[in-house]
Amino acid sequence: MSIKVWAFSEVPEVANEVASAADALSKAAGGTYTVIGVNGSGPRLAGEAKLVLKGSDALSGSPELTAEALSRAAKEANPDLILVGSTRNGKEIAARLAVKLGRSCASDLFGLAVSDGALRGKRNAFAGKLIGEVSTPLPCVATVKVGAYPTLAPSAAAATMKEVGDLPSKSHLVERREKPRGTVDLKGAKLIVSAGRGVKKKEDLALVSELAAELGGAVGCSRPLSSDMGWLPEEHHIGLTGVSVHPDLYLAVGISGQLQHVAGIKDSKIIAAVNNDKSAPIFEASDYGVVGDLYAVLPAMMKEVRSRRH
Amino acid sequence: MRTIKSLPKSARTKAPVLAIYSAEHRRLMGIFHPSRHEEYEELLSSLGAFMEKEILPLSPKIDAGEAKIEGPRKALFEQGMCQIPFPQEYGGLGLPFTVYSNAVELLGTADASIALSVEIHNAVAEGLNRFASEEQKRKYLPSLLTGKALASFTLTEPASGSDAGTMATTAVRKGGEYSINGSKMFITNAGDAELYMVFAKTPVGPSCFLVRAGTPGLSFGGDLKKMGMKGSRTSEVVFSDCRVPEENLVGEEGKGADYAKEVLHGARIIVAALNVGIAQIAYDKSLAYARSRRAFGKPISEFQLTREKIADMKTGISAGRLLYFYASSVKESGVDFSSEASQAKVFATEMSLKVCDAAIQIYGGYGYTSDELHRHWRDARLLTIGEGTSEVLRLLIARREMARSQ
Amino acid sequence: MKIAVCVKHAVDENELKVDPAGNPQFAGAASKMSTFDKNAVEEALRLKSAHSGDVTVLTVGTADAKKTMKEALAMGADKGVLVTADPMSINTGRTAELLAAAVRKAGPFDVVLCSEGSSDIYSGLVPPMVGEMLGLPYVGYAKKIEVAGQSAKVERSLEDSVEVVEAPLPLVVSVVSEINEPRYPTLIQIMQAGKKPMEEIAPDALLPESKPPSPLFVGMKAQAMARKKVVFEGPPEETAKKLVDALGSEGVLPR
Repeated sequence: MSIKVWAFSEVPEVANEVASAADALSKAAGGTYTVIGVNGSGPRLAGEAKLVLKGSDALSGSPELTAEALSRAAKEANPDLILVGSTRNGKEIAARLAVKLGRSCASDLFGLAVSDGALRGKRNAFAGKLIGEVSTPLPCVATVKVGAYPTLAPSAAAATMKEVGDLPSKSHLVERREKPRGTVDLKGAKLIVSAGRGVKKKEDLALVSELAAELGGAVGCSRPLSSDMGWLPEEHHIGLTGVSVHPDLYLAVGISGQLQHVAGIKDSKIIAAVNNDKSAPIFEASDYGVVGDLYAVLPAMMKEVRSRRH
Repeated sequence: MRTIKSLPKSARTKAPVLAIYSAEHRRLMGIFHPSRHEEYEELLSSLGAFMEKEILPLSPKIDAGEAKIEGPRKALFEQGMCQIPFPQEYGGLGLPFTVYSNAVELLGTADASIALSVEIHNAVAEGLNRFASEEQKRKYLPSLLTGKALASFTLTEPASGSDAGTMATTAVRKGGEYSINGSKMFITNAGDAELYMVFAKTPVGPSCFLVRAGTPGLSFGGDLKKMGMKGSRTSEVVFSDCRVPEENLVGEEGKGADYAKEVLHGARIIVAALNVGIAQIAYDKSLAYARSRRAFGKPISEFQLTREKIADMKTGISAGRLLYFYASSVKESGVDFSSEASQAKVFATEMSLKVCDAAIQIYGGYGYTSDELHRHWRDARLLTIGEGTSEVLRLLIARREMARSQ
Repeated sequence: MKIAVCVKHAVDENELKVDPAGNPQFAGAASKMSTFDKNAVEEALRLKSAHSGDVTVLTVGTADAKKTMKEALAMGADKGVLVTADPMSINTGRTAELLAAAVRKAGPFDVVLCSEGSSDIYSGLVPPMVGEMLGLPYVGYAKKIEVAGQSAKVERSLEDSVEVVEAPLPLVVSVVSEINEPRYPTLIQIMQAGKKPMEEIAPDALLPESKPPSPLFVGMKAQAMARKKVVFEGPPEETAKKLVDALGSEGVLPR
């Protein structure tokens, strides 16, 4: 059976990950894929077939309007499968789209395949304790786990433009404030040193950030440090409801390793931990661990790292 | 896990992750209150979760003098801790005494000094509920049960403890007032309380009075330095021509000693529960430590002499818990429960000292040098003394037995 | 103000056990109100205090879900509606349409609140589906909600930005867990929760199925965490060196 796949994300870089998922799927199942964009995103998209929906400026920033634009285009083109990047807005877009088109929807999938007229995939469940096998009948909508697929490079292919005209909107955006990025781009970071409740005082975070700086990495944290204690802004919170990361090295310092945190670090290449509690669950989730006092171990690590340089 | 080398575990004694309200508690509630146990379990589970989150983490700081108990105690009052066994018409929840004693055990685990403060406060509420006039109950009980006003049970004196009949504080009638003179010692909540239940001698014998904070002639000594129960304020209370109106007499003149005795019987069950709570947390920490501390190439929990301690600690806690549940049950049935209450208190307080001592032994050098661990023994140590010494209570138990075998 | 809050009764992911073969033991597993739903209930109660009104808590769940309903009622919700279907046996779309139908039946509401995702599946799809099905404005991932008159101003938290969105009432909002600290119900509230009205509705009576049931999951298995689990113990200088050496040989340290 030949399937027609659409790949979309409101973030062009993520759209290019979805594109590679669509590429793999359409090759395996037999079919084609089109990468969908909005307004001026055409040149930033990958793929040989591109469709750009052109509307007002508000379209780019509104998941409500984007879903409506996609829905109208999909009703004409009738793709069997619409894949959306699983960002917060992406999930909203996919959900709305599913209702508008009368299709089912599944989110945060990876390991996608098509068989017997259904989309098959895998997703995390129970805060990452389990992996679920998912099956949803085609035609459907699905969101693709960010970071699960490689990013295709933007292509020079020209996009088909489609005017979407005036779209009704119920809510409107009053203001958007970018979150301070600085050195915090955890999603793309190759090395992350992360702090948990083992760190006793806010001032002691310096131990963690100094080591991160020495290693050229980013600083993350478990939820209590950002949500409860406000020692670090939300953007640093790694976990089920925070950022999911996939660095080459994730070093968890004074983090116990609760499920909700580990859910965000599973895809790290190497996980290491420093914790003074031998029974802490983080050691079950790590490749290398040190049972010890972080206040002694971290300075010793700094010394060791520095001496390796020379 | 492949370990490369073993070394003493860090002295930081981290309490293991556990639910304070456990399957064992549920089992007991199911036995003692088969028809409504699910409801009681739901309440205790919720209270336990609150204590675990909001009180337990503060406990080491409270012992170290770095945190005060006012805030968590107030939050606990707001949860309804003190309302549990009292009648609904005064703002209580009208629940069985067993639910209250179980709740105090949980609080003993979370922080023993808050448990002590709350227990003394509730003893006054019990005294009011049993012996005060309708008017006095309406006036004082509701604010005690919501915790808006803190209470203090003011009986013991510098020279009179177990022999309350020899108290030297007097209350002399002067017109429409009583003038109270004398001093009380080792009074919990003194200086913080809004309401004092004071026992003073009138010509016909000890009587019971209600004295409000701020009454002229009422003053306090400094906070006494105790070996444990550090969060709870304990000091001397001095009465110097302290005038209270005659409507502040509770019940009848001369009956004060009887009232005190009655209140203390119930309080003894509560103290037993409190100490079971202390023993429980000391035990939990010991078990976790024994599993992780290695010696001679294996965890010390593998050694028989450590296992002997674990077995004895566990058995003692189970027995102590059963005894206070049983005593609570006898109290609920309405008959004289003074012997059962005394048995529970004597057993549980002495047991808790043994358990806390064994915990120190298991922790070894770290036990001796870690405040967070030895504080359990220091907290528990008060209660073979306070609220009826083990000696006096043994005599009470034996007297009852002598009377029975006639 | 009439406020609805949608909750889910879920197996406790922290307590869920797996057998040696990696199969999850759902039967008899501990269950609870989905973690972040408490924040949604708390936000509903705050709106109730600020604007005076009442809160209806709704869920699609089995009889076990009554425990979660009671918890929401104990926190301060005024009434509960339980649509008796097992969310794990039906799919996301069906759950959303049952919730939407229940909201329609129990309403009209000024604000419909949900959490950012359930603690078990965390799909994040149900709230926007409900909004779309009800034809109401939907704003997701709110960290602050202000209602004035017939309009709501919502601060929403995205990965890289914070947006302020305005929408007219009635609307559907999902909240992030950072929005508030949920209150503890007091003992008396727990005791009185059982007296508050709780309605049970059969799904087919509410909204007959238009498609055959197709549960989302066809299987679940424990994640194989194939980690090396090498642990170093000893004096900090030694263990630190061992760790740095190991990470160096893994090639994950900068050169």
